[in-house]
Amino acid sequence: MRAVEQIRAFGYNRCVNSEIALFVFIPFCKIKCTYCDFNAYANLARVMEPYADAVAQEISDCRLQIADLTAKSLYFGGGTPSLVPVAQIEKILRACESRFAFAPGIEITLEANPATADETKLRAYRALGINRLSIGVQSFDDATLRRLNRGHTVADAIEMFELARRAGFDNINLDFIFGLPLQTLADWRATLRRAIALAPEHLSLYALKVEEHTGLEHQIARGKYPKPDDDLAADMYELAEEMLDTAGYAQYEISNWTRSVGVGNWKLDVGRQSNIQLPTSNFQSRHNLTYWHNEPYLGFGAGAHSFFERARFWNVLSPVEYIEKITRGESAMADREEINRELEIAETMFLGLRLNEGIAFENFAQRFGEDARVRYAKEIEELKEMGLIEMSDARVWLTPRGRLLSNEVFWRFLP
Amino acid sequence: MDQSHIRNLCIIAHIDHGKSTLTDRLLEQTGTLAKRDMVEQVMDQMDLEREKGITIKAKAVRMSYRARDGIEYELNLIDTPGHVDFTYEVSRALAACEGAVLVVDATQGIEAQTLANLYLALEHNLTIVPVVNKIDLPSARPDEIAHEMENLLAVPNDQIIRASAKSGVGTADILEAIVARIPPPRADSTLPLRALIFDSKYDSYKGVVAYVRVVDGELPKNKKIKLMSSGLEIDALEVGAFRPKMVAGETLIAGEVGYVATGLKNVRDIQVGDTITHSENPATEPVPGFRPAKPMVFAGFYPTETNDYPLLRDALDKLKLNDASLTYDPETSAALGFGFRCGFLGLLHLEIVQERLEREYDLDLIATAPSVEYHVLKHTGEIITVDNPAEMPDGSEILEIEEPWMHIQVFTPKDYIGAAMDLVTTRRGTFDKMEYLDETRVMLGYVMPLSELIIDFYDQLKSRTRGYASLDYSFANYRASELVKLNVLVNEESVDALSMIVHKDYAYARGAALCKKLKEVIPQQQFPVPIQAAMGGRIVARETIRALRKDILAKCYGGDVTRKRKLLEKQKAGKKRMKRFGSVDIPQEAFMAILKLDENR
Ligand SMILES: Nc1nc2c(ncn2[C@@H]2O[C@H](COP(=O)(O)OP(=O)(O)OP(=O)(O)O)[C@@H](O)[C@H]2O)c(=O)[nH]1
Ligand SMILES: [Mg+2]
Repeated sequence: MRAVEQIRAFGYNRCVNSEIALFVFIPFCKIKCTYCDFNAYANLARVMEPYADAVAQEISDCRLQIADLTAKSLYFGGGTPSLVPVAQIEKILRACESRFAFAPGIEITLEANPATADETKLRAYRALGINRLSIGVQSFDDATLRRLNRGHTVADAIEMFELARRAGFDNINLDFIFGLPLQTLADWRATLRRAIALAPEHLSLYALKVEEHTGLEHQIARGKYPKPDDDLAADMYELAEEMLDTAGYAQYEISNWTRSVGVGNWKLDVGRQSNIQLPTSNFQSRHNLTYWHNEPYLGFGAGAHSFFERARFWNVLSPVEYIEKITRGESAMADREEINRELEIAETMFLGLRLNEGIAFENFAQRFGEDARVRYAKEIEELKEMGLIEMSDARVWLTPRGRLLSNEVFWRFLP
Repeated sequence: MDQSHIRNLCIIAHIDHGKSTLTDRLLEQTGTLAKRDMVEQVMDQMDLEREKGITIKAKAVRMSYRARDGIEYELNLIDTPGHVDFTYEVSRALAACEGAVLVVDATQGIEAQTLANLYLALEHNLTIVPVVNKIDLPSARPDEIAHEMENLLAVPNDQIIRASAKSGVGTADILEAIVARIPPPRADSTLPLRALIFDSKYDSYKGVVAYVRVVDGELPKNKKIKLMSSGLEIDALEVGAFRPKMVAGETLIAGEVGYVATGLKNVRDIQVGDTITHSENPATEPVPGFRPAKPMVFAGFYPTETNDYPLLRDALDKLKLNDASLTYDPETSAALGFGFRCGFLGLLHLEIVQERLEREYDLDLIATAPSVEYHVLKHTGEIITVDNPAEMPDGSEILEIEEPWMHIQVFTPKDYIGAAMDLVTTRRGTFDKMEYLDETRVMLGYVMPLSELIIDFYDQLKSRTRGYASLDYSFANYRASELVKLNVLVNEESVDALSMIVHKDYAYARGAALCKKLKEVIPQQQFPVPIQAAMGGRIVARETIRALRKDILAKCYGGDVTRKRKLLEKQKAGKKRMKRFGSVDIPQEAFMAILKLDENR
């Protein structure tokens, strides 16, 4: 359907392209980290196989009208996908392959935790077509890792990185968290230095949030650790921006950076050169870009989320319940939320603004048939005044301050 | 119904002594409500009542009871609230009754409102049916408590009924005592109609519904009636009784309690305390009404959405029908815009009114800190009353300020005399008298300024006496005090709605405590925000809220956008509940911070 026809049919333009992203959730972990509130369990190893069977079945049974859709990315997230035997990952991957057409050059990512996979396993992943590895390092400080109950050491993380390189992974992400209990600015600088020294293609840096009902929340309440200091976390974030910039990493999203390919110190600077075609670094996570572009994706597994045909829906959280439902031939869907035009616009704004390139007015107009500058004239004006966003003829994006205060920006775009 | 078979009564007690639970048992025993329709404290139907587990509104219900003498009696019962803020509800209920069941908790004994409410009942010449309740509890001391009642309340011991509203023990005896001891109404059906409006409410279908006690004559439906104060004539569209829901009937006869629906849409046309008569053959004299309740504390109510001002006025008009003690006058604040200065009987009353306005009328309100009413004598000889600190004239214009002082009575085990005394002294109170209730408990009398009573006094008293003390208070007189006004500046701008009046000796301590508290409750802004307290032109305290530098959502994992959006929605809703001053958002709690100052910290 052409854009104009779509606008006529739905009142607005639906989907910009017809490729989708696939997500598979693996809820198993060796141990539970103190800060984690994800749907992940340390004592469910016995159901790994039935779980993989169930996921494969959910994928094959997927009844959505998506015959003509192509998968541009597949992401195994967790939990700890690298904990699962290769055969189970393969089973799921094959199920995806037979249900969906894989686009040429499809990005297939697997999340791995240090000390959960040896070289053989990593080579096997590579052989399966997995071409991107995301390693949960979190910190390059052993004391911090112990405090978080990560169950691995700095040496384990470095070893996994090197094994992955040897196994042929040329697109590796490392995950880090800052603002951790007792972490100092100097600790964080040291962690960043070591990360840069490894020269991964991609870096994700997340600010710690103390979630409800986690071990960490309890420890803080008991006074074992001080309350997180937002000022310090802000300093850490700014330090990361500065160090990574100097090291030739380009930030493309609030928490994500890529090593610039071959261009040395090339910097993403959309502000002044807004009308040139943006070169996309090969290493940006295509899968995650789907979320930020608010494009459709399908999730499989316990608690997995999907966004498809103007609705968000998600599966039951409990892996055991998930397996039972799928085995009985039932849908595992827990709930569903229709996304009307107003919501979709709001979500497109606050997801898109996470990206350094921000929101392109032309894309917005094509998708929704109206001008974002008109709809959000008041908000844009106010946020510019506050120094949280900047704008050119073509797009609007967060300033460095705006990235740190992004919630202050985002809520203003809600209906 | 033969008038001699009517009994009008209310249940009175200290808070939580079991009035509503006993009402449940009476409703059950008389078959007014089937067991399956029962919930605990079934009369407490308002959401707020159920949430807080207390009665807020007095409520009437009619029961039919076949007594042991074989006669069927009509019992009109009013369950009343026990909290001191709602004493006015009790006094109006009393005007519709000939008798009162006085309930005393068998573990706690006589408390402050036991006495206060009993005295009210005696003022109305009501017959008292004394009950010791909760005898099922292991710590119950029914005999001791009965003895205490005999001593202090002068009720004959052999008339005190032992009961458990939980198990139902004693319910039958209470019903028999009601019939035997409480006299039927002395009312004359042949006289012209006189019906006293003791409460009312607004119903979107029936218009204003007046709750009445027919004093003389008869009130049938569909007959022209007249409000005696205004002469306004209306139709009695529907008359009936509470069972406990409104059930329409043909007529209300002399001595009965019930309701009349007027169809009136203008809620200001009817007033609690007014007398209804017939247009034809009207009565000449109204029933003596009620002494209007005098509000003690005042606070400004402002809609967070300026456009909601007319809605707020309408809501106050309607709520007033159901809460005759509420007063309100328009006022404006430089900081908050257009609103109302409302008068309340106490802090709980304030809180309840605010919550009812927000829930029942779907408004978002900012309430300013409560204040008392000051009498200010100016150098010019003029005397003005000030119930809003923002309106206190400049110190240079003032010769003298007087503030209300209260008699307070503290009932406490004698081990806590020292603790109570300490607290009262830090609040400028002075000792008046002490009486022993029994060997272990005392009643302490003090006088102290009302302004000190409303800032967290009751909670402090409770915590210093491990919850054992109870408190009653009544107005004493106005006294001159050395008072000063503290202005609060947020980000260098004076916020009138945050100013407060304090005794000059407390100005520094309270100013410092207030700044500290405000620092906790005002959220970080994107720039540092100084908070200052000033007396005259002098800054007496200062704090700075550090700038907000980080406000990021955690990892948006696996496409769970819904959760992230919900968090942002919450943030947006929070912002809407705040009021913007210059460029600083101030939340509701900030205005109440004054009440929660802990200077000792
Ligand atoms: N064990 C026991 N508990 C009782 C009895 N009567 C009441 N209660 C409990 O005491 C508490 C207060 O009872 P209510 O009936 O709400 O007291 P109230 O006097 O109506 O309270 P207010 O209307 O707020 O003044 C409730 O938790 C009741 O369940 C009794 O006879 N025995
Ligand atoms: Mg009650």
